[in-house]
Amino acid sequence: MGNPYLDGLNSIAPEIALTITALAVLVFDLVVKGRDSVRAGYLSLAGLAATAWFLFGQWQSDAHTVYGMVSIDQFGNFFKLFTVAALAVVCLFVMHDRRERKHGVGEYYFLLLGAAIGIFFMVSTSNLLLMVLGFELLSLSSYSLAGFHKGNRKSAEAAMKYVIFGGLATGIMLYGISLMYGLTGTIDLSKMATSPNLTLQLSSSPIPFGIATVLVLAGFAYKVSVAPFHFWTPDVYEGAPTPVTTFLAVASKAAGFGAMLRFLGALFIQSGPTAIGAYGERVGTMLALLAAITMTLGNFAALRQSSMKRLLAYSSIAHAGYVMIGIACMSREGFAAAMYYLAAYYFMNLGAFGFVVYFEGVTGKDTIESIKGMGFKAPLISIVMVVFLVSLTGLPPTVGFYGKLLLFYEGWRDSTVLQWVVVIAALNSVVSLFYYLRIAKALFLSGTSEREAPPAPVLTGFVAALAVATVVFGLYITPLRAWTDRSLDVFRTLTGS
Amino acid sequence: MQSQILSWITFLPLIGMAVVLLLPKTAINAVKGVSLAATFLPMVLATKLYFVDFRIQTAAEIESARQFDILAAQFTQQVDWIKSIGAQYYVGVDGLSIALVWLTTILMFVGVIASFGIEKAGKAYYALLLLLAVGITGVFVSLDMFLFYVFWEVMLLPMYFLIGIWGGPRREYAAIKFFLYTLAGSVLMLVAIVALRLDSGSFSIPKLTELAVTGKLTGASLPMHGELLGMQFSTWIFWFLFVGFAIKVPVFPFHTWLPDAHVEAPTPISVILAGILLKLGGYGMLRACFPLAPDAYHEFAYVLAILGVISIVYGAFVALGQTDFKKMVAYSSVSHMGYVLLGMAAFTVWGMEGAVLQMFNHGTSSAALFLIVGVIYDRAHHRDLNGFGGLSQLMPRYWALTTLGFFAALGLPGLAGFVSEAMTLVGAFQAGDDRFQVLVLISTLGIVFTAAFLLYAMQRVFLGKKNAKYDGIEEINFREVFCQAPFLLLCVVFGILPWYLLDWMHPSVQNLLNLLKAQG
Repeated sequence: MGNPYLDGLNSIAPEIALTITALAVLVFDLVVKGRDSVRAGYLSLAGLAATAWFLFGQWQSDAHTVYGMVSIDQFGNFFKLFTVAALAVVCLFVMHDRRERKHGVGEYYFLLLGAAIGIFFMVSTSNLLLMVLGFELLSLSSYSLAGFHKGNRKSAEAAMKYVIFGGLATGIMLYGISLMYGLTGTIDLSKMATSPNLTLQLSSSPIPFGIATVLVLAGFAYKVSVAPFHFWTPDVYEGAPTPVTTFLAVASKAAGFGAMLRFLGALFIQSGPTAIGAYGERVGTMLALLAAITMTLGNFAALRQSSMKRLLAYSSIAHAGYVMIGIACMSREGFAAAMYYLAAYYFMNLGAFGFVVYFEGVTGKDTIESIKGMGFKAPLISIVMVVFLVSLTGLPPTVGFYGKLLLFYEGWRDSTVLQWVVVIAALNSVVSLFYYLRIAKALFLSGTSEREAPPAPVLTGFVAALAVATVVFGLYITPLRAWTDRSLDVFRTLTGS
Repeated sequence: MQSQILSWITFLPLIGMAVVLLLPKTAINAVKGVSLAATFLPMVLATKLYFVDFRIQTAAEIESARQFDILAAQFTQQVDWIKSIGAQYYVGVDGLSIALVWLTTILMFVGVIASFGIEKAGKAYYALLLLLAVGITGVFVSLDMFLFYVFWEVMLLPMYFLIGIWGGPRREYAAIKFFLYTLAGSVLMLVAIVALRLDSGSFSIPKLTELAVTGKLTGASLPMHGELLGMQFSTWIFWFLFVGFAIKVPVFPFHTWLPDAHVEAPTPISVILAGILLKLGGYGMLRACFPLAPDAYHEFAYVLAILGVISIVYGAFVALGQTDFKKMVAYSSVSHMGYVLLGMAAFTVWGMEGAVLQMFNHGTSSAALFLIVGVIYDRAHHRDLNGFGGLSQLMPRYWALTTLGFFAALGLPGLAGFVSEAMTLVGAFQAGDDRFQVLVLISTLGIVFTAAFLLYAMQRVFLGKKNAKYDGIEEINFREVFCQAPFLLLCVVFGILPWYLLDWMHPSVQNLLNLLKAQG
């Protein structure tokens, strides 16, 4: 083949498209002096469409690595398409959210797209250095986004908390990576998995490697808000502008899980039944305990929230706990279940945030109190919200139910520790029902509100479409399932099984 | 052989619901008409299915049918649904479920008629009612655990809103309590279903039953290797499933959601709740709990019987102390459903058949009782048993119907309740275990209490001095009589001719007992 550098460019076409879009939005914003949020939004959507087109172009391509760093494979593709789809919805929210139109909309889109570039590199590399770079690009963009409402104290506080926690988490992770480099002499995960030095080290004492793994995982745990690195979540979710919260809750969280899965998969699953692979089971047990703690903590803390954004923040912590069940299995099937749950989470959580965006526009607040009796005033969006709540609780016939079922299934199959975690998760669903129903109760059970709800056909239509998808994918599971399974083929390559 | 009749019965209300949602909000009469049609047609189909098409199989026929499916179900339809986990759309009925399917369709039809007085947000109400019908019927016809669970959960949400939006003053509390209790039971059920699937590779209830009764469902292939914390796999499965169903029945000590839900629910919803929702619990035990964990069933039968007896006596005793008419009827349900558990625990033909019969008869008699309460509540706007008096002089026709309903509920010979209660008690007395005889003796106390609270209520409301406040009270009208008539009629008919139910269920009950015996 021709010039390897040009071929490489071909492989990272989606990333390039995204970068060009980000820059184009910035220039466009300079030209119109930050006054045209709608067209900047359409420009971003067009760029995202182009990115998606390039990603679909890689649909059939075999896994390969370019520049010795970027892995182009179906696993990365899953998370990239996920990000693009989530970002498109977030852009729609931004366009709808009237309050965002006041200041610097171009930078808003630019930062969102920048965060997406970070995600793209973060999920498509087994090189820890590039992973950290992507991770940081995502984090830095997120910090600025969280504090985007400059005059708003809560927004500023959110950004500050986010920076401090984020800086700490990255520092811990980098230290872990440096230990790993010291133990193996490489920063590439695939090479680590077969490193003879590491095997030797594990046979004498597993403690140094254990510490390194835990430290690296701490960084990911922060990104996906798994206990005990979840403290920033409620404050940031509440203070950040709602579209940004949506981005953090869906795209950023999925990216964190993507990188975590890549890290664990490349390190422990690919190494197969070796000493390193066996060590992965111990890591799995630790993750199982974290899963149980995270979901219980998230659900109980959510019970008493009065702000819907805070409630969804704790709910997102709880859902991170559920996803961890699949990850703790430390098997391809478990990972597939975790990814399926993330896909389910995409539909139901985006829908729920769309609902919040709509009612923030109507009432100017995000409290449960403020939506009392609005169910009969804005019936369509309220009914579809009930669908999302049902799905978040994990009741059939929705995608959330099937996602949970798969996680339970893999958990029960894996180990007795996870069996208990599954029972805890099942009981947690009951707890979660209570606070999810508080929203349904406020909507429908508290009489009829005096306030009028102005129609928002585009937003409502879009959220309704997400609700339809929530139900349809709950009944017709095969396509999503096939996609997640296919994505994980990449972790089979080294084991030869 | 694929039959589509059950799918029609199950999903016609769903079509009705779609039509209702498409109608404009103002066309409330059209909404009522569609709802009526969408519940009437399933009722006609189910009636025909019951009396004409359903084949009462002989022992030999059951034996040959068991080659294909161990439950010898009829009108089966089996279609692959989610291939990757082996879930199927698999429906069918046998002698245990056919009568309950029929009862469901009748109750839903009457439920729609009884709802005609509801004025608030009619469109949403009927849509939810029809969705509820789909869920309930679906549970009775499912022969696949996954499908069973989906239907089981589908009915929760409509019920929550039906109580929560159209209920009484404490409706929010009652609705969420109902939802949380039921979900708490069913999540453990889900865990058990997942475990069964993992161990057997199948969700099909006949297949799982076959494996369980031949001792092949031991959990040996799971990481727990068949045992956890010193308890067998089947014991875990049994309790996880049992608690889920017991909450629904409800069995003491899981019964506390029931009085709240009943008191707050609007009349038609109380009727459906008592009439069929409670039967889902009893049916679930017969279909999915005992056959899938026969060892544990035999081991813990006496625990179930004790719980049943406590429910009988305690329910009746608490009912005696109530001043709220509806709450009294609600506790009477706890008491009556206790017989079901006692009968099922006995592991005798009479006990088991009596239990299924009791479920059907309680469906008709409790539906009638809640309609009776509804009549007086609509007029007086309260249900205080001490707030009336001498109503027999003002509403003689209403009094006559109430008397019939009360006597059916207290088990007067000649009416349906007597046959089934007597059968469960005799069945329990015959049980191989001596402890059961003592339990039967204790449970006769329940019969006394039941008679006491019903007669005491009768005395306070209808007899004695006339309460001048209600002088101009309107006599029961045609629609109300029309709603109650089918249930009271069924109470009389099946009191005299119980074999119109028993003959249908006998082959399947015998089959179930044989299956359970194979292991025990």
